[in-house]
Amino acid sequence: MRKQMTSFTLALWFFLLAAWVLSGDRLLNWAYEMPDLGPVDDAVLALLDGAETLRSGAGLHDYFGEFRTLLHSWTGFGRS
Amino acid sequence: MVFPTLEFLLFFAVVLVLNLLCDGRPATRKAMLIGASYFFYGVWDVRFLALMGGVTVVAWVGGLFVTRPGLRRPVLILSIGLLLGTLGIFKYANFFILSLSGLLSSIGLARDMTWAGVILPVGISFYVFQAISYVVDVARGDIAHRKNPADVALYISFFPQLVAGPIVRAADFLPQIDAPQPPTAAIRAEAVVLILIGLFKKMVVANYLGVLLVDPTFAFPAEQDALTAWVALLAYAFQIFCDFSGYSDIAIGIALLLGYRFQRNFNQPYRAASLREFWQRWHISLSSFIRDYLYIPLGGNRGGAGRVAVVLIVTMTLAGLWHGAAWPFVMWGFLHGAGLAVERLFRARGLRLVRPVATLLTFAFVVLLWLPFRAGSTDVALQMLTTMTGGSLATSAPIALPVWVLLVIGFAMNHLPLSLRSRSIDAIANLPAIGQAATLALGVLLNFALSQEGTAPFIYFQF
Repeated sequence: MRKQMTSFTLALWFFLLAAWVLSGDRLLNWAYEMPDLGPVDDAVLALLDGAETLRSGAGLHDYFGEFRTLLHSWTGFGRS
Repeated sequence: MVFPTLEFLLFFAVVLVLNLLCDGRPATRKAMLIGASYFFYGVWDVRFLALMGGVTVVAWVGGLFVTRPGLRRPVLILSIGLLLGTLGIFKYANFFILSLSGLLSSIGLARDMTWAGVILPVGISFYVFQAISYVVDVARGDIAHRKNPADVALYISFFPQLVAGPIVRAADFLPQIDAPQPPTAAIRAEAVVLILIGLFKKMVVANYLGVLLVDPTFAFPAEQDALTAWVALLAYAFQIFCDFSGYSDIAIGIALLLGYRFQRNFNQPYRAASLREFWQRWHISLSSFIRDYLYIPLGGNRGGAGRVAVVLIVTMTLAGLWHGAAWPFVMWGFLHGAGLAVERLFRARGLRLVRPVATLLTFAFVVLLWLPFRAGSTDVALQMLTTMTGGSLATSAPIALPVWVLLVIGFAMNHLPLSLRSRSIDAIANLPAIGQAATLALGVLLNFALSQEGTAPFIYFQF
């Protein structure tokens, strides 16, 4: 059971990273909107900033944003 | 920090790893979960960590002494007094000061009392009730007191249910601290389904109903036509259901992935054929708390019809006050209590309606009473009522199609047979662990994609 839970958790992390890679610069925007995390705030921001530089360097599209726009136009939520 | 946000997603992913690393080390796991819970709460406002710590100390010390011979009654009174006193100061001080200020103004003695403003700590009503549950359960002998304060600290602060419930009973949760249930494939599947349904209810149905119709209507009730006002009230009934039951679903799912099980908090409430049944299906953890710790100690069903009616009305009025420190909430609770009393009278005389009619009448009564609850102030409630009863039925601007679709979905969220959920759980339980994680990740992504930018807070956070 522990092995299964390890697979589950690792897979979740993989999908989390995949979602970040394919979702434009949302992570950085979010990081700067985040409440101040006190002593670890600078370290977290530096880490996210570095990761974001790497991601944008790869020149990937904002697939999540495109998918979101498509969904909103289908459902009519985009006009809200 | 609220559930449907990226920051919570990252926080929970880290906690899940730490929880796995603490497997087989109960003391470390307990310390980790307390640390995570205090971090979760501290991100909102670090000043109130001391308040939650203080509530924990009162409950733990109360539990230590409440079973000592001769001390039961004084310790119980002191502990509950301190806990309710804390709730009274932080939640109700403003209400009483504003009411006093209004009263003084009405007799020409206006005073500026803004100096006395007290900030309401998020979730205080929930964790104070849990602290009371611990002391009372120990005093009643339902559970043994905990020598280790960390047990009580985790029970009171456990982050999945900390800010908006469900209100977990000490007798249900404390035994699980000693032996958390490792998430099997079936438990993970149940968690995945609950989290995804909860996110959909909150991020899609509740948020869009609020933004597209309920919020603008209640913001300017005098400018609406009657039809829009009625549909907005109906939409609010489904918004609050999807918002709050969505939060409960997510909380229960998250707790399951960490090895803990909470009781179900909602059971298709709008299917109820009586108010009594509604309260057995809506916010079940609060209803049962109020029944066991307030209604029964006040006398419950003992005595004549008149006495029981008074106890019902007092209990429900206090339940209304628990929901919010404002007169419309008091009125909402009072009217529910009065409705329950009348219903009891009918039942005693053998008056029965066929179930579909009774369900429709109960639903109509409940929806109407959401009016003062949503209005939040007597002025807005009266303006809405005026529009609903006197406004034109012709709409000046047609209600958008997505609103009607969301109303149908909200209705389905309450009415779809529970066997559908069970079948989904069974299907996901048969997937390998990686497939279950993929289902969760894709479902979360879909909900985020469908939702608006930004996150509306859960309605029950204010309580």
